[in-house]
Amino acid sequence: MTVIFKAARCGGWVTALCLSLVMSVLLSAPALAQAPDVSGTATVPVVTGGAAFVPIVQGGQTTLVSIISPVVLVPLGDKWLIESRAAFEGDFVRRDGTTGPFSGEIQKSLEYLQLDYIANPHLTATVGRFLTPFSMYNERLYPVWIRDLQADPLILPLEQSSSNGLMLRGGFPAAHDLNLNYAAYFSTLSSNETLASERLVGGRIVAFFPNQRLEIGFSLEHLLQDTNANRFGTHFEWQPRALPLDIRSEYADTESGRGYWIEPALRLSALSHARVFAHTQVVGRFQQFFTKPGATNGDVPGADTKEPEIGLNYYFMDGLRATASYGRQLSSEGNANIWTSGITYRFAFPLGRGGY
Amino acid sequence: MVMRILAVVLVLAAIVAAESGNNASGNKSTESNAATSANVVPSSTAQNAAIRVEGEKRFRTNCGRCHMAPHKFPPRMMATFVRHMRVRALITDEDMRYILAYMTE
Repeated sequence: MTVIFKAARCGGWVTALCLSLVMSVLLSAPALAQAPDVSGTATVPVVTGGAAFVPIVQGGQTTLVSIISPVVLVPLGDKWLIESRAAFEGDFVRRDGTTGPFSGEIQKSLEYLQLDYIANPHLTATVGRFLTPFSMYNERLYPVWIRDLQADPLILPLEQSSSNGLMLRGGFPAAHDLNLNYAAYFSTLSSNETLASERLVGGRIVAFFPNQRLEIGFSLEHLLQDTNANRFGTHFEWQPRALPLDIRSEYADTESGRGYWIEPALRLSALSHARVFAHTQVVGRFQQFFTKPGATNGDVPGADTKEPEIGLNYYFMDGLRATASYGRQLSSEGNANIWTSGITYRFAFPLGRGGY
Repeated sequence: MVMRILAVVLVLAAIVAAESGNNASGNKSTESNAATSANVVPSSTAQNAAIRVEGEKRFRTNCGRCHMAPHKFPPRMMATFVRHMRVRALITDEDMRYILAYMTE
């Protein structure tokens, strides 16, 4: 313990974080309960993912957004997993702005291609290209079939979508009604367009209270290039048991700007058990972005911006959903209405014998 | 300075969690105990029922954090998905085992 405090005091916060995580894992090992033994359960390679067609009208300009994002999962033995996700996105706009035929290119990206090794119940080691575990949206809510509103949050570009390098992560029940999860990672610089990443080191710790269904997380990142900037993020999620309500929020503060969003989503089964209500979800989101002088990130707004949004999702079945939303972007660069409507779909099938 | 303070907070949180974790199994709720007392291979209907209840509870609690709880897939697919989610979605090993047992029963 003294070693950890000394490391922290000397400014080696990354070292301190790593040491604390190692100690946590080692000290908490006896806490694992006698859960069912599922070792040896047969697996099969799987292709899954999401697809969406969501036209967006922003400031009078229509963009036909078409996305297909396949995920390939290849388990090897009991402890290994190769997982990968690519994205093929076509943003088709009218050639002359508001009239004429739609045209555009298909953008291809490799979002992750990683090898996971489950070293023990509390530690998984990952190498390759992985989604940067900074806050929660990028890693968990980004897929089109998961997100409740199709427009990206304004602060999403601050979360650095993918990193190339090494990651250690895991989770463990730390106390009654408390699970702790951690991630620590190092990424190397890559200027390759498809595999772009920054040289950085970072960590995230998340506390999850299962009985309250409450999650709070803190993320830190230190850039090891250019400005050597520090980045901070925090996120929050609560699903009260009394209502089919999700409340999610994130805050991020980086050299490229800072901002937050808060997003409540209510299933209307709270009002009636009629089929149409049970399958409908109302979503709201309010977000703000604040610029910073000298910021060079071209993906974030160029002026302070705020944006209220409201949306509606209708679930035809598990995985197939109609979605629509309206938002109003308010900025000194100009105000704009943002309309979206479309269909999202989640697919999954085995690569092999039936899955049974 | 801020980073150092945050590092110290993280260190303290991790140490407290790790040390309290040693007592965690003794503090579980009655419901959890009913399930976790089911040993490695359930041998009775009551034990199976306890695992099913606990598995469904953990399934709803964990999977619903990000998306609609999906329907059941064939067992081999489910085993692959749960391993993927264990890495991706911050599911503990214990949760993973209950969820997989519930989803493949």
